[in-house]
Amino acid sequence: MSTTSFADELRARSDESIRALFELRPDLVTPVPSDFSALAARANSAPSLIRALENLNKVAIDLLTAMCILDEPFAKSDLVALTDKALTPEIEELLLRAMIYQDGNKFRLVGNIRNLIGDEPAGLGPRLPTNLKIDFALLKQAPDGAIAMLERLMWGPPRGQLGNLKKPGPAISWLLENHFLLAMDSQTVVLPRDVAMHLRGGKIHKELTLAAPKLQGTPRKQKEVDRAAIANVSSFLRWCEELAHHWSDEPPVALRSGGLGVRDLKKCADHLGIDENCAAFVAELLYIAGLVVIDTNDQILPTTNFDLWLTRDLEERWHGIVSLWLETSRVSGLVGKSESKNIAPLGPELDRAGLPAIRRSVLRLLQQNLEIDPANDSINEVLRWSAPQRFNKDYIEWTLREAEWLGLTGQGGLSTFGDSLINGSEDLGIQSALPKPVDHILIQSDNSAIAPGPLTLELSNMIGTIADIESRGGATVYRFSEASIRRGLDHGQTGDQIKDFLKKTSKTPVPQPLEYLINDVSKRHGKLRIGTASSYLRCEDEGLIAQILHDKNLDHLRLRKLAAQVLVTDTDAHEVMTTLRESGYLPAAENGTGILVSAPAVRRAKSRPRPPRILSDQSTPSDVVLTSAVRALRAGERATSHKPRDVPRTTANETLDLLHQYIEQQASITIGYADTNGGVSNRIIDPVSISLGTLLARDHASGELQSFRIPRITGVSLVE
Amino acid sequence: MSDGPLIVQSDKTLLLDVDHILSDECRRAIASFAELEKSPEHIHTYRLTPLGLWNARAAGHDAEAVIDILLKYSRYAVPHALLVDVADTMSRYGRLRLEAHPVHGLVLVSSDAAVLKEVTRGKKVAPMLGLQLDEETIVVHPGQRGFLKQALLKLGWPAEDFAGYVDGEHHDIALVQDGWSIRKYQELAAEGFWHGGSGVVVLPCGAGKTIVGAAAMALAQATTLILVTNTVAARQWRDELLKRTTLHEDEIGEYSGSKKEIRPVTIATYQVMTTRKQGLYAHLDLFDAIDWGLIIYDEVHLLPAPIFRFTADIQSRRRLGLTATLVREDGMEGEVFSLIGPKRYDVPWKEIEAQGYIAPADCVEVRVTLTDAERLAYATAEPENRYRFCATTLTKRRIAIELARKHQGEQVLIIGQYIDQLDALAEELGVPLIKGETPLKERERLFAAYRTGEITCLVVSKVANFSIDLPEATIAIQVSGTFGSRQEEAQRLGRILRPKADGRTARFYSVVARDTVDQDFAQNRQRFLAEQGYAYRIIDADEILNP
Repeated sequence: MSTTSFADELRARSDESIRALFELRPDLVTPVPSDFSALAARANSAPSLIRALENLNKVAIDLLTAMCILDEPFAKSDLVALTDKALTPEIEELLLRAMIYQDGNKFRLVGNIRNLIGDEPAGLGPRLPTNLKIDFALLKQAPDGAIAMLERLMWGPPRGQLGNLKKPGPAISWLLENHFLLAMDSQTVVLPRDVAMHLRGGKIHKELTLAAPKLQGTPRKQKEVDRAAIANVSSFLRWCEELAHHWSDEPPVALRSGGLGVRDLKKCADHLGIDENCAAFVAELLYIAGLVVIDTNDQILPTTNFDLWLTRDLEERWHGIVSLWLETSRVSGLVGKSESKNIAPLGPELDRAGLPAIRRSVLRLLQQNLEIDPANDSINEVLRWSAPQRFNKDYIEWTLREAEWLGLTGQGGLSTFGDSLINGSEDLGIQSALPKPVDHILIQSDNSAIAPGPLTLELSNMIGTIADIESRGGATVYRFSEASIRRGLDHGQTGDQIKDFLKKTSKTPVPQPLEYLINDVSKRHGKLRIGTASSYLRCEDEGLIAQILHDKNLDHLRLRKLAAQVLVTDTDAHEVMTTLRESGYLPAAENGTGILVSAPAVRRAKSRPRPPRILSDQSTPSDVVLTSAVRALRAGERATSHKPRDVPRTTANETLDLLHQYIEQQASITIGYADTNGGVSNRIIDPVSISLGTLLARDHASGELQSFRIPRITGVSLVE
Repeated sequence: MSDGPLIVQSDKTLLLDVDHILSDECRRAIASFAELEKSPEHIHTYRLTPLGLWNARAAGHDAEAVIDILLKYSRYAVPHALLVDVADTMSRYGRLRLEAHPVHGLVLVSSDAAVLKEVTRGKKVAPMLGLQLDEETIVVHPGQRGFLKQALLKLGWPAEDFAGYVDGEHHDIALVQDGWSIRKYQELAAEGFWHGGSGVVVLPCGAGKTIVGAAAMALAQATTLILVTNTVAARQWRDELLKRTTLHEDEIGEYSGSKKEIRPVTIATYQVMTTRKQGLYAHLDLFDAIDWGLIIYDEVHLLPAPIFRFTADIQSRRRLGLTATLVREDGMEGEVFSLIGPKRYDVPWKEIEAQGYIAPADCVEVRVTLTDAERLAYATAEPENRYRFCATTLTKRRIAIELARKHQGEQVLIIGQYIDQLDALAEELGVPLIKGETPLKERERLFAAYRTGEITCLVVSKVANFSIDLPEATIAIQVSGTFGSRQEEAQRLGRILRPKADGRTARFYSVVARDTVDQDFAQNRQRFLAEQGYAYRIIDADEILNP
């Protein structure tokens, strides 16, 4: 009998059918195979088949298992005899996926499938050697316990362990004698396939679930689901924002192996008032979205992308993050599990293949079952049916948990926003569903302030710097304290600015004690000044101090007078000493306690040893980071591509970024520059350098070098 | 999105907008399961605690009702996790029951074997349990009832107590309402307590807690033990009971340092209860002297530790705690609740004020700038002496005297912590001083003279922090205190909150040295009152010296 080869069969398929195959098994076209033999080889390769198996539901897998039991080639009728007639459409499906192929009217399995399904398909043992015969009628006379023994092995696994085969009990020895069991080694017996098939009544499977089980759960109303989801969306976005701000204030240092340490994670969780799993999730997404990065000095810091991100509306922010979550293979759920102790968020060990597929299938299932909060067991059962090879209870649980955090779901059910997102629609309707931002706060006499709803960005930034958050939710409760006011002053606010802001924003009068608190703190703030200097000069003769200060020869030491008898400088003490001696003074060195030291000690470097970094240690930025970097660049470019005379407004951060960029490019630019009266004029300049908040640039109008105060630059654009 | 008065926060606090049209309705609805945490002018804060939710269960509310209320009044979407948590917490209540057993006395019963197993494995719980009678019943050592309940609460499996209370020896007590009548909130408080069995009633100073006690006694109709802070307070209780109830003088006994009377109604001081002789508490037997039907703890926030321990032993008696300020700097509020019983009634101070039962008060912090010499001395003082130093400076004393003179003719109280400071003040002003060593007779005489207006200015040490009833005092000047104690501040304000005959506003001055720890402590002290809606005004001492 001539047999058709797999490649030949493929070759004979129609173009449509090959296309369909490629759609179902996309890995077969990357790269495009050179010919049908190559295609057949690839379709038969284990990795490709494993992927294909992962996409099969339970019925298809059961059918494949049944095929493994049959001799090749097999006919449809053989298969039906072993399983069920209702399965015949699945045969076409497997054919289409090129997991079986046609040989005339019959079918053959693609070679590697048998290896992947295993030696004991459906829990069936080896065949009875052909020289042995079994008389099933004998079963009626089986001794006590023998039938029970067979029933134990009947649905697999077909092997059983015995204490000692040489001294079997009466039941076992009867079964062995009559070949109902075969001995494998001195301690193992096996139930032969023929016996099992007889006991199973000629069918392979105990039960065949032909259709997916129905998803069970608590019914919910879509309106309530959406309400809950929107609450989740807004808290999630707030977490992102707050965490990035928190890291900007107190950047954690990444572990040597990369990633966020346990203690820092706990700090984040405490700061946000959420559990550590959730904090790890938020941190991961910020990282994936390129909103934070592990900086070259190992500090974890928000990027400039974060500033851009903040300027977008909430829907856009959410859309961006959720899309990344759907695609990412990083699994923050692994963090904190006892079996994966050393896995840290932002670390290198979070990738797991197949996660995006699981997320998609979970969401698709929810999409097909709206208004239901699925019960855990039920959703596991359904997903185990629809893709048994991919099933992972933890991954499903995490996906559901994360979907709820993100606000894709609310009260467990899929929200309309999530639904639209999965369907790929542009307008998700989140922006209009979110509670309207409020533009005021209520200050109470116990020095707390309440924002009775989400605050506008500007307000929340300002109040975030001068007060601590005490409670979060639909509203935010802030508390003013000495420390929080001090932080505001550190951020460059003045006491009067803070008071004006509060008066303007508070719907209720600002309590007098709060005003006093602000006055008190701002009065004391900055009274004590701290700076750095490398060495000092002191002398009881004030005249000598004055003389040194005005000595032209010593100008390069840049001496500063702190008090009548004290000068300081950034120059190293040894150098100062030498210079002073050269200029004819008679300085002597003293040590920390003021005792004269006659000779300088042996010199050593002051900084800690810092051997050069090994290149491979540096983590290469992930794709996501690169993409968003490019995106950010483009956005920056767009912002600068305006006509001269029409300089766009840029924020201080953007201005600074752009200036650095143009200095590097040595480009001529137009800037809007505010004068002391607040009028804005445009200047065309060549920027040269930036230092101390001042831009040094050559002004085209005057042709002279001129300095520009950066806060007064209202916008920057390229000269076209 | 509904526009409700309530904002449910994810940290389980509830913010109630009091200016909202539905706020009253909402307040009544949530009061049954949430605890009032603070009540400043605009937004009141309530908190959902397991204890509060379990009390609600005990009072017959189920989780569904609680969730319904939250959803109904909430302005924004309620966090789902919180709702799940509420349902979960409430379902834990009642799985364990304490019941009276005809043979074994007290037993712990549960139909949920797993829960019973879990709690019996608890390290703290195991020693309190005896023999396991069957799968669902375990014998409890009778003396351990209180401790067991407390330990189970900590494990998160509160036991519903069906073992009931002993009735105690019967004694007829009734209120005599001639010329006065019990106020609505007092009645509600007494009833709230009675239905709950045991618990704490929180009412502002001057709102008539004694009447609540008397009303509770009238409901109990049984012999009563009343524990109070000191002898003066004991006498006040006695006078009040004689005036308000059918009790006669020979029915009320005083059990204090000087007298040891045990009568159907006995008033004892905390001090005598905790007196030790040769290391033993000599007077704790009083708890067993009579079959008490009711025990009242006045100023329960001061409950001393030995009485704490004893209270755990007498769980089968009804216990009523009375306080204005259940804040303890040692964080023992929780212990009070679990030993005396949960909060049965609580009402914001400002609400009673609005009803006219306590006087409105104007709180003023007077900031005094120390002289340069004082500042220098302060800066170099040892840290542990710093507060004493800045609190007792001469500059502060001068301001206090100036204030007292300014209010000459009004009833003024000057309150302080440090005796030498008070001595100097009393001497300079030429007014009497009451301190710890002042004999009881003398104290009573001075207080009586003050009440009649014979004396208009008194200097008192912390002996007058509590329970001293001085209805006509309108001005209090605080010169120093027990560091940052919030309840002391509130209690001192309480001394001047009795409504005045002419409806005058009381004024509370706190003299504080600027830029010192005095100011930091003052801030902490003021928190409780600020949270009750008392807005402090700050004025500079110069405004008093040169008006």
